[in-house]
Amino acid sequence: MGLIDIIKKATFFEILQGMSVTGKYAASKKFTIEYPKEKSIPYPRFRGSQALLADPVTGELNCDACHLCETICPSQCITIESSETPDGKKSLDEFTIDLSRCVFCGFCEEVCPRAAIVMTANYELASYDKRDFILTKEWLIANAVHAHKELKGR
Amino acid sequence: MSAPLEEKVEQRTRPTLEELKERKARNRQRVSDNAEVMTISMGPHHPSTHGVFRMDLDLDGEVIVDVRPEVGNLHRGMEKLAESKTYHQIIPLTDRLHYVVSFSQNEGYCEAVEKLMGIEVPERAKYIRSMCHEMCRIANHIIWLGFLVMDLGAITFQQITFREREYIMDLWEMLTGARLTHSFARIGGVAKDIPDGFREKMAAALEVIPKRMAEYDRLIRNNRIFLARGKDVGIFTSEDCAAWRVTGPTLRAAGCPRDLRKDEPFAAYDQLDFNVCVEYEADVIARYVLRMNEIYESIKIIKQCLDEMPDGPVIAEDAFHVIPPKKDVLRSSAAMIQDFVQVFRGPQVPKGEVYKAVETSQGELAFYIVSDGSPKPQRLRITTPCFYHCQAMQPLLQGEMLADIVGIFCGVDVCLGSCDR
Repeated sequence: MGLIDIIKKATFFEILQGMSVTGKYAASKKFTIEYPKEKSIPYPRFRGSQALLADPVTGELNCDACHLCETICPSQCITIESSETPDGKKSLDEFTIDLSRCVFCGFCEEVCPRAAIVMTANYELASYDKRDFILTKEWLIANAVHAHKELKGR
Repeated sequence: MSAPLEEKVEQRTRPTLEELKERKARNRQRVSDNAEVMTISMGPHHPSTHGVFRMDLDLDGEVIVDVRPEVGNLHRGMEKLAESKTYHQIIPLTDRLHYVVSFSQNEGYCEAVEKLMGIEVPERAKYIRSMCHEMCRIANHIIWLGFLVMDLGAITFQQITFREREYIMDLWEMLTGARLTHSFARIGGVAKDIPDGFREKMAAALEVIPKRMAEYDRLIRNNRIFLARGKDVGIFTSEDCAAWRVTGPTLRAAGCPRDLRKDEPFAAYDQLDFNVCVEYEADVIARYVLRMNEIYESIKIIKQCLDEMPDGPVIAEDAFHVIPPKKDVLRSSAAMIQDFVQVFRGPQVPKGEVYKAVETSQGELAFYIVSDGSPKPQRLRITTPCFYHCQAMQPLLQGEMLADIVGIFCGVDVCLGSCDR
């Protein structure tokens, strides 16, 4: 062991070297954001809770009740009840998503042939009450305000 | 790009297998014949077991006489669950094996299914897959280092490494829409093309990460506590690795250049230029140096992928096996019919069996699928590297000191979600 090594060992050189890195960051700008006060803005592809989109002109839902999203859903969290109107069209009676089962894979949005169900930027879904996790049709229509600005294909 | 670690590697001498064996024998304690063996249980809720893992330890004082690992506390029945889902629906399930390298698992599963169905993946999708694999590797190796150093006593270090991982997390969110469970690979390609502004953000991240890694180096590389707790601790030679089927960085740190990216190329790795990193000391420090070198190599691969990526579709045009892209479904009726058929009936699969292994950041991850011709697999067997790493705890820990358990356990990189499935 050379003299330099002995001096290094005696003066705890490597600890000082490490502490210099620590000291550099003590005065620097913080990296985190303080969540409830400032919120992070998700990217346009972010998969938050679902929403049902309506036609902006007529106000009718895009959904045709084709049951594709219900079928592809890997966790089987979507329940659809549909009936037939007198003029032969399918109408959507109930559309329920059990959020406590949902895995946010985005398959429902991906297979939808009408751009009716979309994943939104809404990520604040915590609740004290389990009943809040059953998303009804009305909730999903209201959630459309959180939808991403442009509907992008995949 | 600076590579301070690579230079240091060149200067070191390479121990032979015999030297390593001798060093291993010297470092492991012998148990006296009249030892009083005490059995204690470590885990399943021990914070250093990275999940729920239990070990029965037979101790003679502070020396470990025997270890009986017990896995299965996190068993979720994934393989059985997969039998009741169509091939498309299994993709989100594979996310949940190991939550840091979700994409590698998506991709490994899709590779296996594509091999079974005989789908040709477009070139652009292959490059995106390779790029995502390397993003997984960077994120995993960085937080592995954080957890290792945290287990060895430096708590703040783990939070520093999470800061750098955040760059990769942001890129995941931008690319796939989720931060942990991406569900990004699809049978026949990937879900989406890379978005606008992704290249710039990636370039910025790849600029920052090497700088921060040089800082890690200054923080811990010469630290006497880190060296004392890592040097010659947990030596596991290439012979041991072969006997216990330990793959990945642990094997490469023992001097064996086994890497499926080179040996059995998948995704676009056969067209990319990269080196397989090898270390020869086979201890915890060697695993650390190897992983840091692999991050530099991954950065090189990502840059290559982004530069050489050809144009074209990101998912195969295959009416029998692939869910078509959404923009086609909205416009063409043929694609819409394909969409309905794929969802309601599932892909058309030939009968047969297929085995496909990919290299994730922990080791070889393999999927074995038995198909009976129906749209659901008859049997899906997932072979994860972590299961074999848990199995190797006994030869890894015998003769070591009690205090070194956490360092060795973290050193081989075990995730219990992946182990228990």
